[in-house]
Amino acid sequence: MMLLEHMGKAEIAARGVPVPRGHVCATPEEAAAAAAELGGPAVAKAQVPAGGRGKAGGVIPVDGPDAAAEAAGQLLGRPLVGHVVRSVLVEERLQIARELFLGLAVDPASAGYLALLSTEGGIDVEDVAAQAPGRVRRLWIDPLAGLTAEHAAALFGDLGDELALTPPSAPLRRRAGEGPGVRASLSDILAKLYETFVACDALIAEVNPLAMLSDGRIVAADCRMEVDDDSLFRQQAYGAYREAQMDEREREANQIGVSYVGLGGDVGLIASGAGLGMASLDMLGLADLSPANFLDTGGGITRELMRRAVQLTLYPEGVRGELINLYGGINPMVEAALGVVDALREMPVRKPVVVKLLGNRQEEAWGILEAEGVPVVKRVRTEDAARKLAEILTGVVG
Amino acid sequence: MILLDQNIRAIVQGITGRIGSVQTKWMLEYGTALVAGVTPGKGGQEVHGLPVYDTVREAAERHGANASAVFVPAPFALAAVEEALAAGLRLVVVITEHVPVHDSLRMKRRAQECGAVLLGPNCPGLLTPGVGKLGIMPGSLFRPGPVGVVGRSATLTYEVAGNLSEAGFGQSTAVGVGGDVVTGSRFVDVLRLFEADPATEAVAMVGEIGGTAEEEAAAFAKTMRKPVVALIAGRNAPAEKRLGHAGAIIRGGLGTPQSKVRALEEAGVPVADSPADVVRLLRPRMNRPVP
Repeated sequence: MMLLEHMGKAEIAARGVPVPRGHVCATPEEAAAAAAELGGPAVAKAQVPAGGRGKAGGVIPVDGPDAAAEAAGQLLGRPLVGHVVRSVLVEERLQIARELFLGLAVDPASAGYLALLSTEGGIDVEDVAAQAPGRVRRLWIDPLAGLTAEHAAALFGDLGDELALTPPSAPLRRRAGEGPGVRASLSDILAKLYETFVACDALIAEVNPLAMLSDGRIVAADCRMEVDDDSLFRQQAYGAYREAQMDEREREANQIGVSYVGLGGDVGLIASGAGLGMASLDMLGLADLSPANFLDTGGGITRELMRRAVQLTLYPEGVRGELINLYGGINPMVEAALGVVDALREMPVRKPVVVKLLGNRQEEAWGILEAEGVPVVKRVRTEDAARKLAEILTGVVG
Repeated sequence: MILLDQNIRAIVQGITGRIGSVQTKWMLEYGTALVAGVTPGKGGQEVHGLPVYDTVREAAERHGANASAVFVPAPFALAAVEEALAAGLRLVVVITEHVPVHDSLRMKRRAQECGAVLLGPNCPGLLTPGVGKLGIMPGSLFRPGPVGVVGRSATLTYEVAGNLSEAGFGQSTAVGVGGDVVTGSRFVDVLRLFEADPATEAVAMVGEIGGTAEEEAAAFAKTMRKPVVALIAGRNAPAEKRLGHAGAIIRGGLGTPQSKVRALEEAGVPVADSPADVVRLLRPRMNRPVP
């Protein structure tokens, strides 16, 4: 799950990374009070768990309480880059001399973490990374050994001088001191960011921009952090936040214990596995059917889980029918079949369902479904099941 | 065959749990050489005729175990793998779903340090037809033969193997590397083993959107002597949505079906439209005629 800016900032600030003074506000009145407390020029920043906020108008400079209230009024409740704004961060406005990018990320291919640094931070860092990959420094970190002084030296070794020599940073050299002072500050920030990254089970922890101020301080002006959903058993502070991020159907899916994504079409899908589910989407497409959802049961099928999964995906208005695609490796097929039948029996008007099912006790499971009049595909052919459903829905076969 | 051969003597970690116990029964029924189980605090019990120990070390020393299938809950998976590696096991298969990524990285690095093979987490394990299985693959779908199968998603791997079996193409070994972002072994690790395996003539690789494992595999396949054919699931999937597997997300233009198909085709690896289509692509690439 992607954290909001202020949540990520709270995590890094708690470990000693300098962040701007600021307050999280849920109403224009709170925003006015925050601006009054901060005193000088401020900025109102919409809190949404996605990038591209600044370009979409989600960051507004404000001078004084009235302007802060007005900005908050504009932002709160408004949809922005795919999310409704529910809070606004009112922060002191920074006098930025230079913007850096500093990030940590899990790197699946190398079995480690990557530290990323660019001396050209700011909103277009993705473009820099794409167009001039050489201008983003990357350093591998072994999760077992952790971050060491060598990493910081390799990442920042020549950096103070480079910054000092570049025109925009000329004032820095005078006011912030020579390279070694900058290097020490950056190394300290990297160490604290790393500590946060590991402690929070983050997949990504990015500070962009990491702002070098005209008075010489280095401050995390923004923070983007994604926390691993599978770590919630030990990152319990974020359980409620994650629930709040979900829409009604996703929340129900989460309670049932399945993974659900709405797709907008009119044919439901249940698959016992993500890859099988994706292949099922592909096969539905080839059969000219439009999937209403993706649903992966994972390996925890019970009769009740299956009953509720069918309710979730087949009951909604606008869904015409459903493909259920199951393998019994770890999942019990008889339980699954009973759950499907339970859900169908509870429907006042049944919609067409095709079940493809193979694995443990498959004959018994087939018998349960067929006794209920449910068409069963008994071969390892998802495309056959998708085609059969298409035929039923177009009335070719009753 | 690779990894799982006649020399394997395996234990089950988490053998007294609901799933561990049922799957132990099915592994035994398939003929797998299981020698013991481990659940801390349950030493002295017996599950389906196998003795249960408190520690992996005890089980390994008494029974000469060299492999493990791990069914413990996610919060304890890292400790279980570390214990298995410390006891000197050479093959550790983690079936457990929802293991935190940072834990997966640590277990992977530990396995690398020990020179052991780690499969998973969130994987179905592996199966060598006629020899045995470590994990949860349904044995009825597999037949002995010359095709190596490797997949990220468990159930889609079953579907491809099932299509191969129906068409008369048996499997040397089928391996599920797991659907998570970070997995102990990746496609390229398993392709390397199949390339060196005398019993494998060709490889079917079951990929999906997200990540870069297929692109890496394409680069390696270029250097292989044996033919590889692939399936990429999720060509119809939306970008920026996570479809069940943490790994299956197209983000920032990375991991798109187009980039995978392009990389594979440039490497001479044809990409199938459906699980059944894998068979069509494989047929002309086999040395021996298939019944």
